[in-house]
Amino acid sequence: MLRLILLSTAALAVLAVAVQLGVAVGETRLSPTVVYQVLANQLAGAQYPVDPIDQGIVWNYRLARALVAASCGAGLAISGVILQSLLRNALAEPYLLGISAGASTGAVLVSVAGLGAGAISMTTGAFFGAVCAFALVALLAHAAGSGGLRNSAQIVLAGIAGSQLFNALTSLIITKSGSAEQARGIMFWLLGNLSGVRWGDTLLTAGVAVAGIAVCAWHARALDAFTFGSESAAALGVPVRRVQLVLLLVAALITAVMVSIVGAIGFVGLVIPHAARFMVGVRHRRLIPASALMGAVFLIAADVISRTLIPGQVLPIGVITALVGAPVFAGILLKGRGGRA
Amino acid sequence: MPVRRLAFSTLAALLAGTVLSFSASATEYPLQLHNCGHTLKFDKAPASVVTIGQAGTEMLYALGLGDKVAGTSLWFNAVQPRFKAVNDKVPRLADNDPSFESVIGKRPALVVSQFEWMVGKEGVVGTREQFHDLRIATYAMPSDCEGKNNLSGSDGTRTAAYDAHALYKSVQQLAQIFDVEARGKALVNELTQRQAKAVAELKSSKLQNVSAALWFSSADLAIDPYMAGQKGVAGYMLQTLGLRNIVTSAEEWPTVGWETIALANPSILIIARMDRRRFPADDYQKKLEFLKKDPVTQHMDAVKNNRIVIVDADALQGSIRMVDGMEQIAQAALRLQGAAR
Repeated sequence: MLRLILLSTAALAVLAVAVQLGVAVGETRLSPTVVYQVLANQLAGAQYPVDPIDQGIVWNYRLARALVAASCGAGLAISGVILQSLLRNALAEPYLLGISAGASTGAVLVSVAGLGAGAISMTTGAFFGAVCAFALVALLAHAAGSGGLRNSAQIVLAGIAGSQLFNALTSLIITKSGSAEQARGIMFWLLGNLSGVRWGDTLLTAGVAVAGIAVCAWHARALDAFTFGSESAAALGVPVRRVQLVLLLVAALITAVMVSIVGAIGFVGLVIPHAARFMVGVRHRRLIPASALMGAVFLIAADVISRTLIPGQVLPIGVITALVGAPVFAGILLKGRGGRA
Repeated sequence: MPVRRLAFSTLAALLAGTVLSFSASATEYPLQLHNCGHTLKFDKAPASVVTIGQAGTEMLYALGLGDKVAGTSLWFNAVQPRFKAVNDKVPRLADNDPSFESVIGKRPALVVSQFEWMVGKEGVVGTREQFHDLRIATYAMPSDCEGKNNLSGSDGTRTAAYDAHALYKSVQQLAQIFDVEARGKALVNELTQRQAKAVAELKSSKLQNVSAALWFSSADLAIDPYMAGQKGVAGYMLQTLGLRNIVTSAEEWPTVGWETIALANPSILIIARMDRRRFPADDYQKKLEFLKKDPVTQHMDAVKNNRIVIVDADALQGSIRMVDGMEQIAQAALRLQGAAR
């Protein structure tokens, strides 16, 4: 019990440091004193005289963004854990269910095809697109398989079919009616963009992430049981159908919410669970919190890099996650090669 | 020194206008013109023309050549009201990019293309050679090829800043091709005089070297906005009017974070009004609402003191409407100054 408390405190401390980094470093230079003063003003009721613009930047822009980055990183990572465990496939990741493809179609319908005439935001369109795509993939998988996830290949193939369909629809809409400016706006969103998030988004993403982690942690034992297949899990007394349904829905919901708010940030759901497994092993009681923490820190770092790599220009965060994630993953792969039991 | 350069270029433009008006005469055929890396030869005025790009279309209408236009394409917004009657009689091949066959199906003698990415080395409609093989001449508007490399960057990258002389060159060359040189001179004179007047009015006020930023639109309301960069058309307009653009990027419409804009704190904020409703930020009312409600932008000097200028988006293009835009900005800025006193 004590160990649990110590570990949790350490984890939260690491997260706090990462969030601090995200707040202090950004596309413009703000002195650490100013950052400290703003945080002190807001959190501790101090009365430092701070320029209201600096205050707004640190508190409303950067802090909200760092927290959203943490939530998205954590959410996408545990979705990846769920999918890799349920489907028993090392290459499974949240976007397998067609969610990001559906989200992109929803987003371009709103912003390029003009659906909603400017009254609906890209986020809402993306969310509905994601939900539609997931529903389609689920129906397809259900119809193709004999019910349940006995054959995970069915889900993967259904997901591929769904993703391809929605990606094609996205391309159709962009090439038919998009101008260069609209195509640019969509491109940025398709690769991930945290610049428009504010406190409202923070509450939503943090809530979803925390709830998702809680549900996952609750099912940690069941997820361990699935390692040997669903028949073995059933033999171990796990209510297979119910758990599969709940966890898949949770993964889909988390992914849909995250993707509609910040766009399709790749690599996190695929790589972070593997990296976490190398660090803490395969037991889900440790894997889930570790993945969540690593995902959170990774995405904050990626966001900071995307804003500071090229001065005066913000890169899409998806580019950074891939550029940074791939070599790191290669390193972990090589390092763990000798010591794996 | 920007002020000296602007004075010089205005003077040069006026002089050019005056000198050329002395030499307005019928075109001598056969006519040979150098245009964007190709040599065009005309034995007589073209009997019919197809336009790809609204700037070229409206330029021909302004030269009184509406009856020679066999088809139009690539429209960004509604045709100018004074050309509506003429335009209604002209078939529209496409709102966006036309197909190669639809263009040649009209059997034009000339194709006027506004952008190199429409008709050029990697032209979406076709290459210039493809048209020349069919004995159809192509005219590429100089504003898109002079000082611009269209093989890099999503909108092409300007190697040199946009300059209105490219616009006047188009008018003169098209007038020459169609043997309406007198009308061409008159149009150039009118435009240069109006531009010079707008510049002079601002110069005599106290608004010289005041900092400004121009917000076109944003992919989502709170996301990084598209601002006018240094080298594009809008950047040229700001510079010629003597306003200092706080955006340092050389791109035509870079995305700049609100953090950067708020910290640069321009004295005047110019926002675009348009009929299009793709992004929520297209509606200038929503732009104003955002500026007043966002926790950072509401503290900007321009927003607090309501020094916000509204200009038509159509007037921010490299077409004859550009002068309308400069007049709008100049008049609105002067009104602001008048209100402040």
